[in-house]
Amino acid sequence: MLTALPVKVIFTTDEPDLALPETKQQLLVPADIKRYGLSRILNSSSMLDTSSPVPLDFLANGTFLRTTIEEHLASEGLSAETTLTLKYVRSLIPPVYEASF
Amino acid sequence: ATHISSDRELRDFGECMQQWVEFQSRTHAMSLSLTSQLRLILTPSQSTKLSGSFRTGKRLNIKRIIPYIASSYKRDKIWMRRSVPTKRTYQIMLCVDDSKSMGEAGSGTLAMESLVMVSRSLTMLEVGQVGVMGFGADVFTAHELTDPFAADAGARVLQNFTFSQNRTDIVLLIRQTIDKFRIARQQQSNGGLWQLALIISDGLVESSTHDVIRRLLREAMEERIMMVFIVMDDQVQKGSSVLDLGSAKFQDGEVVVTKYLDTFPFPYFLIVHNLEELPSALAGLLRMWFAEVAS
Ligand SMILES: [Mg+2]
Repeated sequence: MLTALPVKVIFTTDEPDLALPETKQQLLVPADIKRYGLSRILNSSSMLDTSSPVPLDFLANGTFLRTTIEEHLASEGLSAETTLTLKYVRSLIPPVYEASF
Repeated sequence: ATHISSDRELRDFGECMQQWVEFQSRTHAMSLSLTSQLRLILTPSQSTKLSGSFRTGKRLNIKRIIPYIASSYKRDKIWMRRSVPTKRTYQIMLCVDDSKSMGEAGSGTLAMESLVMVSRSLTMLEVGQVGVMGFGADVFTAHELTDPFAADAGARVLQNFTFSQNRTDIVLLIRQTIDKFRIARQQQSNGGLWQLALIISDGLVESSTHDVIRRLLREAMEERIMMVFIVMDDQVQKGSSVLDLGSAKFQDGEVVVTKYLDTFPFPYFLIVHNLEELPSALAGLLRMWFAEVAS
């Protein structure tokens, strides 16, 4: 079976209380991941280690990521060779909807 | 003319020649340093073993004494001499990552400089044949092992590299390198042939294929093909080192983050942050490898 190539992502944020240490800002993530998966990764104990999950949204080039990373790169005419910068913000989606994403 | 693979678009020759000359002068001192270090490693040291059967020599070969007497002192080649070390010949393939990630991270320039520096050292050493391949989504030959490294060869090699390939298919590279070395070995009558591939890359290869890579590397090892992975870790921004790079996965629904290099499948690899480190690092690694294969 062909597994999608991991994509190298750089995480940035403007929210000081959610900032990652420098050495954790770059991460390889599965290419078929979407907003919810990315939010879970950032909340995990290896990353932000939040006491209770903080739903996050991700901006790629100023627009909210609503597809998989792979689909996003393809729509921009890019491949998994490109390092993707994602800016994360507290999600405005009410947590009650979380399960459907 | 050489048949260099299909219709690759080549960069302007004049531009590449200029680049080669520039890289050459920038890396000249390092090339010399690498040459002198490699000379000690790649050419076997003076053998101290006594062997053979000669009319004159250093010490008697006991096994020859009885036949000597039995032949009424006619078979008089009863002496041993210090044997001349067998000459080793090498086929060395420089495999340069031509994928897009190289260009993005600024590793491309570092890779080109390394290519110029290492290929010049190896040519100065005159230990055998030097070839250059590029890899990404596909593999191409930029310089055949059998072609001499003539004055314009370097620029012709550089013409092939654009760092715009959309994948980094390391498995394809290893397979094709092994195939190439197999064919090249058949064309050589020399028994003391050693085959070495130096892979120059940013180290970002498809992690889903690590098991396949391990199996191929074992296969290569059995055929006396050595593969060294040189990770060009040019930190364009702070915290961007491959040493810190994590890899996130979902396992049984849980997030697992591991260090990318912890599962790196190449047993022989080195991480180079700048060019100045390369000569000693590469020499050190090869010394370690020779110590292992010799034991
Ligand atoms: Mg790449």
